[in-house]
Amino acid sequence: MKFLARMQAPLGVLTLIALAVGLWMVWTAPADFQQGGAVRILYLHVPSAKMSLFCYIFLTIVSIIHLWKRSETADILAEAATAVGISFTGITLASGAIWGKPMWGTWWAWDARLTSMLVLLILYKGLMVLRHSMDDPAKGARATAILAIVGAVDLPIIHYSVVWWRTLHQPPSLTMAEKSAVHISGPLLPPLLAMSVAFILLGVYMLTLKARQIEAQRKLDALEAARLHHE
Amino acid sequence: MLKAAYRIAWKDVAGDFRRRATLSSMLFFAISVLVVFQAAFEPDRKEALRLLPGLLWATTLFTTLVGLGRVFQAEEEDGAFEGLLLASVPRGVIFFGKWLGNLLLTLLVELMILPLTMVLFNVDVWRQTGEILGILVLGTVGLTGLGTLLAAMTQGARSRETLLALLLLPLTAPLLIAGVQAMAGILTGGEVTPWIRLLVIFDVIYLALTPWAFGWLVEE
Repeated sequence: MKFLARMQAPLGVLTLIALAVGLWMVWTAPADFQQGGAVRILYLHVPSAKMSLFCYIFLTIVSIIHLWKRSETADILAEAATAVGISFTGITLASGAIWGKPMWGTWWAWDARLTSMLVLLILYKGLMVLRHSMDDPAKGARATAILAIVGAVDLPIIHYSVVWWRTLHQPPSLTMAEKSAVHISGPLLPPLLAMSVAFILLGVYMLTLKARQIEAQRKLDALEAARLHHE
Repeated sequence: MLKAAYRIAWKDVAGDFRRRATLSSMLFFAISVLVVFQAAFEPDRKEALRLLPGLLWATTLFTTLVGLGRVFQAEEEDGAFEGLLLASVPRGVIFFGKWLGNLLLTLLVELMILPLTMVLFNVDVWRQTGEILGILVLGTVGLTGLGTLLAAMTQGARSRETLLALLLLPLTAPLLIAGVQAMAGILTGGEVTPWIRLLVIFDVIYLALTPWAFGWLVEE
């Protein structure tokens, strides 16, 4: 945690520079011949979707470490990853809807990725609520870690069940549009890479900030409990 | 070993038969959900046939929540949960017993819901009752398995019934999709096998995962 404190300021500056460079590249990139200027939303949408999944993978790993080693640090990182993950998931869903309205003609479609993202958002929220609804923090941490692992098993099943549902039920017209957006080539690739790097830095920065805040909060709670005990 | 699980399940089911607490509240909750659906959609005969899989699954899902809220109710007082954990069998077997008890109660309610739905919504699918029940049983195995784990997880939490719904509904989305699609396939002669496969995969994964997760959860 001390290491995180020393790292925080330089990491923040680096994140700011990377975001500025990335956004400048997005701004000057040529517009897509089919999508026009709206394609620029994808430079925000795609990295943020990746980050919301990375956050969940990280959350699963630190949850396993917490259960296994009973490490307090792993639990703090898990709580921080949940908070960071839910914000990236929210950004992903909101930017996707804004892009979807002019491109697909609808804010929302029950496509496999959209549905999985929505479930991911509810799962993050469930993890946060479960942790804070327990009177005993240690019990809450343990239950939350197990739920995170159950969710990690469930998310791929949800994704594939929706894929099967949509492909067996109706032709995957919308997934085609989304897939063609992924095959970005030529001059559109550098800004996407720059934004991905910027978002990874942003995610790590938010994680350190949140982890330090949670640690301080827990110390404060312990002091408060000790004071009440003393009186 | 399995005898211990069977005894725990029997303790719950027999206890509930004597008090008739969970079983009757689940049944009447299910009936009120059906009334809500009728008032909300007012389906005619043809629509009712198309809506039937969704109606059955939504009613089952909501009714399961009522049952799950009470799985560990008997253990909540006088440190009875600690007493149960002291039993000289692996924790997974204890979980298996609690799950089995909940599964039996839920299946009993489903057995009553199915004819009730057909009568209330005026759908005549009596010939396919066996197949529909089979799909319901397959889905209920995974649903109550994951649900019993979540019930144990939310034990001692504030506003736990809401929390249980918030956690269970998104995680069981694959069951709902596969169950509705398989049932619709049976009723309209569409694709059934891939959905049954998905239901079985879900059941196997959760029956393997949940006893282990329960062991971690209650460890001191």
